[in-house]
Amino acid sequence: MKVLIAEDDLISLRILDKNLNDWGYEVMIARSGGEAWEHLRDADVRLAILDWMMPGMNGIELCQKIRRRRKSRYTYIILLSAKDRKQDIILGLSSGADDYMTKPVNFLELKARLQTGRRIVDLEDKLLVIQNQLKDMASRDSLTKIWNRTETLRFLREEIERGAREGKSTGLIMLDIDYFKKINDLYGHDAGDKAILFVVSRLKKKIRKSDKIGRYGGDEFIVILPRCGPDEIIKIGERLRSAVGNRGITTNVDRIPLSISVGCAVTDSSNPMTAENLIKQSDEALREAKNRGRNCVYLKETSHPDIKRRANG
Amino acid sequence: MADSISLSSNSPIDYAEVLERIGGDISFLEDLLKIYFSEYEEKRIQLEKALAGNDFLTIQELGHSLKGSSANLSLIFLQKTALALETAGKELKEEAVRLALTTMDAEIIRLKKFLEDHPLS
Repeated sequence: MKVLIAEDDLISLRILDKNLNDWGYEVMIARSGGEAWEHLRDADVRLAILDWMMPGMNGIELCQKIRRRRKSRYTYIILLSAKDRKQDIILGLSSGADDYMTKPVNFLELKARLQTGRRIVDLEDKLLVIQNQLKDMASRDSLTKIWNRTETLRFLREEIERGAREGKSTGLIMLDIDYFKKINDLYGHDAGDKAILFVVSRLKKKIRKSDKIGRYGGDEFIVILPRCGPDEIIKIGERLRSAVGNRGITTNVDRIPLSISVGCAVTDSSNPMTAENLIKQSDEALREAKNRGRNCVYLKETSHPDIKRRANG
Repeated sequence: MADSISLSSNSPIDYAEVLERIGGDISFLEDLLKIYFSEYEEKRIQLEKALAGNDFLTIQELGHSLKGSSANLSLIFLQKTALALETAGKELKEEAVRLALTTMDAEIIRLKKFLEDHPLS
């Protein structure tokens, strides 16, 4: 683990450096508060031993600055000082230090206190991993593990905003499994789940790296396509349709052929559109694909210049 | 040899304590003492300048720094004298600063003599 020592006194620094190296730490050295602050940009520095009295920014100011950082992992700070009055210790700890040691340092004590710091840093790391896992679980659909409706809508709003900033169209595909209700009714919900998993696995293989796929609800799925105009969305929609079409799942009693209907819509950079509008349009396109006999792709007509051109042509 | 030193209360350095602090590494202690003497010379010049310019804040800071270095090397008397220097600087007492400096110089000479008479290795 990386430890930063910020100490202007050369002898104290050399002794700290030697001991910490002997104890297996990777040591970084700073001779002033400013230099220490630079080293603290390294996210792997999780333990810091700071001297109170340093040129430029002192240890107290440095502690306060470290604690004001927002997006950093926790740095465990041991503040060193020759000041041993109660009010000094209180000031030191109040500035954001986790621990306070008076100089000259007892090194067995420092070793033990560093181990305490290490335990706390490890604990924080474990908590962050769990927090990320929980966040991920809350963002994903429990059956398919693709993004859930809430997260998908968030991505869509972000993507529409970005597209508008960059003057690019954003494409949205809404698709569902043809005759899904029948599958559930005839073969049961296990077969329905199996059908959903099969379709998702096929779709995931056919989308672009920049695209995002989410479960909108039931057997409805949404694919967000950044920087995607009418021509491209039709191609991608067709690719998704044919990836599922003519294939199927096998149950104990039967083989169930599967197909999907695909509704497409694109934003028009000259006419800003909300996520809700785009969803509505792709939903209408999906209904039209259903009306046209299912297992097909339909692009919702909009004011997009490319679509108009095509309509005129 | 350091092992044969009988540490009296008058010894300028507490060998046992400092060696414990650095894992018993004698050659490392020799290096640290060289750094200490070199830094003392530099700081002594700065102290003289500060005294001439009535810069008591610098005197206080240099006294604080010498106190820390001396404590780390278990130089008991030098640590006490550096504290006296720091305090004299803080209290703007010129005479006390001069006295502390004279005492420190004498202590440095005594320490060097002690180290010659009782070499570490």
